[in-house]
Amino acid sequence: MPQNADHVLDHLELFRGPEYQQMLAEKKRLFENPKDPAEVERIREWAKTPEYREKNFAREALTVNPAKACQPLGAVFAAVGFEGTIPFVHGSQGCVAYYRSHFSRHFKEPSSCVSSSMTEDAAVFGGLNNMIDGLANTYAMYKPKMIAVSTTCMAEVIGDDLNAFIKTSKEKGSVPADFDVPFAHTPAFVGSHITGYDNVMKGILEHFWDGKAGTAPKLERQPNEKINFIGGFDGYTVGNIREIKRLFQVMGVEATILCDNSDVWDTPTDGEFRMYDGGTTLEDTANAVHAKATISMQEYCTEKTLALAANHGHQVAAFNHPVGVTSTDRFLMEVSRITGKAIPEELARERGRLVDAIADSSAHIHGKKFAIYGDPDLCLGLAAFLLELGAEPTHVLATNGSKAWAEKVQALFNSSPFGANCHVYPGKDLWHMRSLLFTEPVDFLIGNTYGKYLERDTGTPLIRIGFPVFDRHHHHRYPVWGYQGGLNVLVTILDKIFDEIDKNTNVPSKTDYSFDIIR
Amino acid sequence: MSSLSATIQAVFNEPGCGKNATKSEAERKKGCTKQLQPGGAAGGCAFDGAKIALQPLTDVAHLVHGPIACEGNSWDNRGAKSSGSNLWRTGFTTDINETDVVFGGEKRLYKAIKEIIEKYDPPAVFVYQTCVPAMTGDDINAVCKAAKEKFGKPVIPINSPGFVGPKNLGNKLAGEALLDYVIGTEEPDYTTPYDLNIIGEYNLSGELWQVKPLLDELGIRVLSCISGDGRYREVAYSHRARAAMMVCSKAMINVARKMEERYGIPFFEGSFYGIEDSSDSLREIGRLLVERGADAELLDRIELVIAREEAKAWAAIAPYKPRFQGKKVLLITGGVKSWSVVAALQEAGLELVGTSVKKSTREDKERIKEIMGQDAHMIDDMTPREMYKMLKDAKADIMLSGGRSQFIALKASMPWLDINQERHHAYMGYVGMVELVRQIDKALYNPMWEQVRKPAPWEDPSKNWQATALAQMDAEATALAADPVKAEAKRRSKIVCNCKKVDVGTIEDAIQVNSLTTTEGVLSATSASSGCGICSVRIEGILSAFPVPQPLHAPIQVAAE
Repeated sequence: MPQNADHVLDHLELFRGPEYQQMLAEKKRLFENPKDPAEVERIREWAKTPEYREKNFAREALTVNPAKACQPLGAVFAAVGFEGTIPFVHGSQGCVAYYRSHFSRHFKEPSSCVSSSMTEDAAVFGGLNNMIDGLANTYAMYKPKMIAVSTTCMAEVIGDDLNAFIKTSKEKGSVPADFDVPFAHTPAFVGSHITGYDNVMKGILEHFWDGKAGTAPKLERQPNEKINFIGGFDGYTVGNIREIKRLFQVMGVEATILCDNSDVWDTPTDGEFRMYDGGTTLEDTANAVHAKATISMQEYCTEKTLALAANHGHQVAAFNHPVGVTSTDRFLMEVSRITGKAIPEELARERGRLVDAIADSSAHIHGKKFAIYGDPDLCLGLAAFLLELGAEPTHVLATNGSKAWAEKVQALFNSSPFGANCHVYPGKDLWHMRSLLFTEPVDFLIGNTYGKYLERDTGTPLIRIGFPVFDRHHHHRYPVWGYQGGLNVLVTILDKIFDEIDKNTNVPSKTDYSFDIIR
Repeated sequence: MSSLSATIQAVFNEPGCGKNATKSEAERKKGCTKQLQPGGAAGGCAFDGAKIALQPLTDVAHLVHGPIACEGNSWDNRGAKSSGSNLWRTGFTTDINETDVVFGGEKRLYKAIKEIIEKYDPPAVFVYQTCVPAMTGDDINAVCKAAKEKFGKPVIPINSPGFVGPKNLGNKLAGEALLDYVIGTEEPDYTTPYDLNIIGEYNLSGELWQVKPLLDELGIRVLSCISGDGRYREVAYSHRARAAMMVCSKAMINVARKMEERYGIPFFEGSFYGIEDSSDSLREIGRLLVERGADAELLDRIELVIAREEAKAWAAIAPYKPRFQGKKVLLITGGVKSWSVVAALQEAGLELVGTSVKKSTREDKERIKEIMGQDAHMIDDMTPREMYKMLKDAKADIMLSGGRSQFIALKASMPWLDINQERHHAYMGYVGMVELVRQIDKALYNPMWEQVRKPAPWEDPSKNWQATALAQMDAEATALAADPVKAEAKRRSKIVCNCKKVDVGTIEDAIQVNSLTTTEGVLSATSASSGCGICSVRIEGILSAFPVPQPLHAPIQVAAE
């Protein structure tokens, strides 16, 4: 056997050994009814043709390799950004395990979240008892300051009424009557994770601002000079929120971050387990009603939340995941306009540095074609940055992108000569993207970890920007917002471009005449 | 060191160089390069020059005898390309330490050579002398000689420590080493009447390979290229070539001239930059080869290739014409020297504002070479705010420049394209010119310039430095217009000779007092133009304006308008 106790091989190496190779080949030959390799090859090639693409785009019912996640995932994302808050997902336990592992794999941090563990009888008779027991146990075991309730499909299908259930639970003594239990209905069969984020954010703000589901008087708004800042569902939340706080600090802007996940997903290793860390305080969340304005970094993540803020008399402003010089300019100037605080020289210098970095190296990006997929706002932010760099965002695809989003992307294309040959694909999936990459090839693909299959199949190098990124570590610690963030995105793109040049010039005595140390 | 200083003197005495030949004996002794000024920011040293010149020899082990500084900073730092061995990219150094400084590093050097030969077995080892062992007295010539005898391999000392002078001198000293130790030491397997040497071409970005297919097609064999994509043996038998082309201006003129002297190989100075120059160079190659015995039908074949390649290149450039409509170029460069680059740019529809010279006669070419010869001086003449004003007044849309001026271009918020050595694109030959046009197109239409030009949108546009500078310039102009005395003083204070810091007033006074009529006269009276000599054209301009002193148009100002 190739495996022995003195030198244990892991799967990267082990199954390449002759014994395993033979075993696998035999299995294929004897039990898998293998097709003629030539036929397999023919089909493989056919799947790269325009003809196949046409059939692929005619798909109506089947989604293959979706570039989106479910509402409850977004719900949990929003909930953990509040001080001492545990997300409580009313529904099946398995779903919750998914959210926890999803976030842990991306942020490389534990991600706490509980479920009401509904089983078959709950599905038949309703989940009230699960809610009563669940809230009581959660309160007793994890000592949260707030329990944010959201749902999975199971609870939604049977129509569990969260408002009534929570009220009953409180009456039954699961949690104290004045304990904060905001809630939102977040079925996965509607929208995507960005919808879930929106619903929970709105639910929590509504809870504090509008009388805690009838258990307290509504807050009377006494406008002050503060602003609210909402980041939206964002894989870079750790780096981004910290960067935004820094930007506000140097501008002298007083802001409430709704919500701040930057600490809970980046806890120090010092011997103490922090189930909760940082986050927006409940007091600040309540007082956010008095703010002058509410700013969202991701329009399509906060449609309902911004409407709520507007209804409370806030000025509202929404951005589309701003990346790069012009987008950051717009963001800062809007903050400056709303707050009346000037943009200080320090930020002007940061801006100049980003412009300088772009000038130093944009020749390598200028004229290159990119395919982008991801959340609608991220797609817009990255596409705008690429246009700014003179690149062409040839294919822009969001499985959770709406028609309105597509129109906005098209308007962005129309604003630049580099957008002339670019197309937007709302509601499409990564198998559609595969056909696009084969029939209209681009130089680089920007997307999350799942893009690595596309990279392998189509040979289009993948630049990992998005959520989730499971197979690269720690990128979430670096911002993509602000001028500093723009620089990080620029470097990420450039690194890949140069890696590709190196990869294409590294065959000794064949191509390595261009394997240069200076690029 | 006496032999080294003798070599340096010999290098300075370069009859092949027109400029050098016209100098007085005393001036010639001072050397032909700008004397370094303590406190100034200067270019590379003689070691660097020697290393750059020889490093592209691909199968040679280049061993730097010195502390880590010298090889650490020069290891694989140029984009020369190799079609074969990559040994040239391996960093070999003796990396000497304090003990070597105190007790001498010769033994270490000898051992290092031994280890290279044992482990790499290259056709030759080049040993580069550097400042420290040169000062402590390591005799690399003796070590190389001993190693050569012991190991039976060519071990070539390159005696060009940094302190002896600037980079350009190092180029020449490297050439001397080849002449002394390499050229003529081996024989080619066979020779043909079509054997050509190319001297001073480094194959940066693989440029040589853009031209070589044409030579191959014509049956012209590049017997040896010194040193781009070169092999030791090719250099060793290069003395059997029938003719030579000298590419990189005067950097290796000593090699070309001495090979002519010793082996009767005629050479011409040519360039493959630009369509016309490429054609001219091919014709010259043909002419020299035919003179030396090649069949005259070669000339006809050359004409056919030229006609075909020119047509192809012009056709490839044509589509850019509409995009270049009304675009203006400011050419500030010493790298891609040829006036025919300018011709190609004009053919592509670009308007050149870098010079008032519009035609491309022989004489004009010479003139452009004079004016554009040293970009540093051009830039000295033009401040960022002046460049910004040009841009602002829509006098230029892009600047073609060397690496040194890129930062000024950026400051002036002007698009630029690097066309000197550190670029990553190959501009040589017919295809190279098409690539240059393509790159200009890319640079012109790069949206990055939007960002570079605009201040932060929240900034008060009346308060940024550009606005302030423009206002200042206008104010100065108004003040000078109102005060003729000041204006005259300002005019007279303009520096003509940057090397010797001689201004207009000094030169005019010297002409007046001594009734001078020649640049030589001005030189002996003021020492102007005794440095790099580039300003002699300007001095001629001043002389021609005499006796009536008129507002001087220094070349760059003419260029700017």
